[in-house]
Amino acid sequence: MSGEEEENAAELKIGDEFLKAKCLMNCEVSLILEHKYEQLQQSSDDAVNQVSQVFEKSLQYVKRFSRYKNPDAVRQVREILARYQLAEFELCVLGNLCPETVEEAIAMVPSIKTRGRAQDDEAIEKMLNDLSLIKKFE
Amino acid sequence: MFFHIVLERNMQLHPRYFGRNLRENLVSKLMKDVEGTCSGRHGFVVAVTGIENIGKGIIRDGTGFVTFPVKYQCVVFRPFKGEILEAVVTMVNKMGFFAEAGPVQIFVSNHLIPDDMEFQSGDMPNYTTSDGSVKIQKDSEVRLKIIGTRVDATEIFCIGTIKDDFFGCDQRPYNGLNAPLCTLISSSLHVIESYI
Repeated sequence: MSGEEEENAAELKIGDEFLKAKCLMNCEVSLILEHKYEQLQQSSDDAVNQVSQVFEKSLQYVKRFSRYKNPDAVRQVREILARYQLAEFELCVLGNLCPETVEEAIAMVPSIKTRGRAQDDEAIEKMLNDLSLIKKFE
Repeated sequence: MFFHIVLERNMQLHPRYFGRNLRENLVSKLMKDVEGTCSGRHGFVVAVTGIENIGKGIIRDGTGFVTFPVKYQCVVFRPFKGEILEAVVTMVNKMGFFAEAGPVQIFVSNHLIPDDMEFQSGDMPNYTTSDGSVKIQKDSEVRLKIIGTRVDATEIFCIGTIKDDFFGCDQRPYNGLNAPLCTLISSSLHVIESYI
């Protein structure tokens, strides 16, 4: 398969396998990895020193770029975004980058407009508003 | 982007691990083997989060090793062409800058940095706009778009751009609505500066 040539996240061409897979927002990954790290700490001192560089770098990264810290807020974000018939990938890009204007949102997720869904500017604006509310009340 | 996916692997286990703890041994060997690896197809395997199922083992002729097909859930990080994400700058030079998003390295060439940003050398090399309002240096947070990926057997390397609206350090383009993020980033820059 010449998937490499076709790949373009802006048009949501990310391969069937990943399109169907569950995407994770940075804040969700942060919860998962921190939980795993705590488990390792409890099991033995040695286990913590043995974590891979990939794990360590990912943990640092998601901690730095998590928009939402508490688990309830994270769940709400997913619930709200799920109302708008977004693909998993689009949902997570929005959750990660938290665009503040409709134009910004479309620039971040161009596929939101092209897939022929009834995603007008008003709907997007409402979605962004809902998201910023969660942030405010967190 | 991070994904939660199910992968399969044939695990070979030495007979010395057989017994009551076979399953635990298999799982800990799986974690040791796959966590931290990278493949072009699935990206970086960050962490194994669960086991879906372990198939029947098959004894290999002549060795006594047993091969188990193991299905496991894991968190992977896979960058895509066209994807937009945030990254931390790790090195700046006159050719451009390197940034890291989790395990992946991204290079942004100076051709893909907005024209109004100039390279400034010194002990803290950086790219700065002519009015000095935005500065990209080591440890800055930037938003970029991946425009190319190179896949090795064990690594993925990306080329990125910040030459577009809403990219780079400054989120300023329209009517100041994005000001909060901009000030957030510049205040973190001040913190960095005070360390120097």
